[in-house]
Amino acid sequence: MEPAVEIVDLVKRFGNTIAVDKLNLSIYDGEIFGLLGPNGSGKSTTLLIISTVYKPTSGDVYVYGKSVVKNSDEVRKYVGIAFQEPKALWVDKPYEILLWHAMVVGYSMSDARKVVRQVMEDLGVWEYRNKMFSELSGGNKKKVELAKVFIQKPRLAIFDEPTAQLDVITKHQVWNMIEDLRRNGSTIIVATNEMSEAERLSDRIGIMYRGKLRALGTPEELKDGIPGGDIIEIIVDGPVRESFVEAIKNDIDAVRIDLKDAVIRIYVNKGEEKIARVVDMFSRGGLKVRQISLKEPTLDDVFFYYTGAKLAGDNN
Amino acid sequence: MREDLRALLLVTLWDVRKVARYKVFLLMRFAWFIVQVSVFAVLISYLVTIRSLGTSGIGYYEYYLFGAYTALLFSISMFRGYEIAEEFEEGIIEYQLSLPIKRRILAIGRTIGGGIASFIYTLPMMLFILLLLGITNPVLIAIAVLSALAFSIGIVGLAINIVFGLKSGDKTDILFGVVDALLVRLSTIFYPLPFLSVFPPYFYAAMYNPLSNMADFLRALFFFQDLKIFIHAPPENLVSYIVGLSVGLSILAMLFIERRVEGGGWK
Repeated sequence: MEPAVEIVDLVKRFGNTIAVDKLNLSIYDGEIFGLLGPNGSGKSTTLLIISTVYKPTSGDVYVYGKSVVKNSDEVRKYVGIAFQEPKALWVDKPYEILLWHAMVVGYSMSDARKVVRQVMEDLGVWEYRNKMFSELSGGNKKKVELAKVFIQKPRLAIFDEPTAQLDVITKHQVWNMIEDLRRNGSTIIVATNEMSEAERLSDRIGIMYRGKLRALGTPEELKDGIPGGDIIEIIVDGPVRESFVEAIKNDIDAVRIDLKDAVIRIYVNKGEEKIARVVDMFSRGGLKVRQISLKEPTLDDVFFYYTGAKLAGDNN
Repeated sequence: MREDLRALLLVTLWDVRKVARYKVFLLMRFAWFIVQVSVFAVLISYLVTIRSLGTSGIGYYEYYLFGAYTALLFSISMFRGYEIAEEFEEGIIEYQLSLPIKRRILAIGRTIGGGIASFIYTLPMMLFILLLLGITNPVLIAIAVLSALAFSIGIVGLAINIVFGLKSGDKTDILFGVVDALLVRLSTIFYPLPFLSVFPPYFYAAMYNPLSNMADFLRALFFFQDLKIFIHAPPENLVSYIVGLSVGLSILAMLFIERRVEGGGWK
């Protein structure tokens, strides 16, 4: 697949702080790429370099083959970004902001009026078009920021935490609009802290932590990449011998097995492929299985695994 | 090329459309200016007597009016710097840097747009003093308007260079205060150049000061014969200075934004 974005040995320093540290990454044409990472992991800095707002300290980014260092004017023709924090002056009015934006990205005045109205209606902010920006709620400010990209329909659309501050209904609406944008030919990069958002939208996900890319793959690949990430939980009637547990462990190459009373937890990779074998072994071992379930890791687990981050009070 | 012109027009409009938002500010400045030129200028002109020049009675009052207008035009043009500083704080500059516009177009557009906006703010004041002085020659008025516009663009270019270079609200406030104080005082805005010759550093600073050149050009344009002993250079030199200032500072802003400026770092 042709890369829409190719990041090569990218480094960005702010004084003594390294925000992005030797980042290498390819984002393919037509995909939705989720960039995950905790606050301060370098996601936003990376996106701002792709959109030519920041200059790299070293390394380069190629957007459809054009360098952000040498051909930044060309790169900007391809890129549209919705910033994490909405960008407007307090006295600005949403309709004026978006009409100006639409014309800057190439619409004629009459087309600009139409597309601005359409997108504002889709996002439910048309009724606020003539209010001052400072009078809008946080969610509506965010919608105005998102509207810029939906109006622009750029070849490379970048969303930095697109649904932060939005209610659940609007979140789904925005996700649908992002998917529509991709169907119409855009490549999408979504930076987010929300695992559900990344999982819902992304073809592939990159996890950044402390300026580095810690993991890359499809959501399924990332989940399968956690050693012992799947848990097969079995409740049986009667006691289970240690030797039987050891036999299962060896047979299905389990990472770990916990046995407590009648509950057995088997930590394994690709549990969906091994569950039938486990049931068969229990059956042949004369143990009656009362209940069996397979728990796959969530993207939260993936995130914690790759970033080494822990929830407050979580000792596991 | 057509695409660039369209982008230039739109970037210019970014600043020009803001004029309407500052009606109260404009009205207050206009009211204050009327008081300044109708009351204080008259009073001070009683204190300053210029010996008869064998002319039509033109005196310090007329000299003062163009100085007051130039000082106002300068202050309002520099005020664009504060607005751009606000835009930095609100992230507008990052937004503009991400737009599909060449950086040099962005720089020139903001400079010209800021210059036009500042000039529009001061247009009522200029018309008011022309009315006071009974000047109706449309050619001279057009030249005055164009020179004021060029001056304004140059000063906005200076303000943009300072704000983008410093990227600091506090430093901007301090430096703008210093620049404003120095340039207004070390000029021929209110003090004719020949009288400054007793302080040579002051004299030379005033001679090369952009405000002196602008104010003296307006004086020369309308009252050259009457005020020529106070004007240090022929009008064509003065206007060349103003055009050079405008073009030079705009190009400097363009090069600076194109090569150096990036988002972030604003404190």
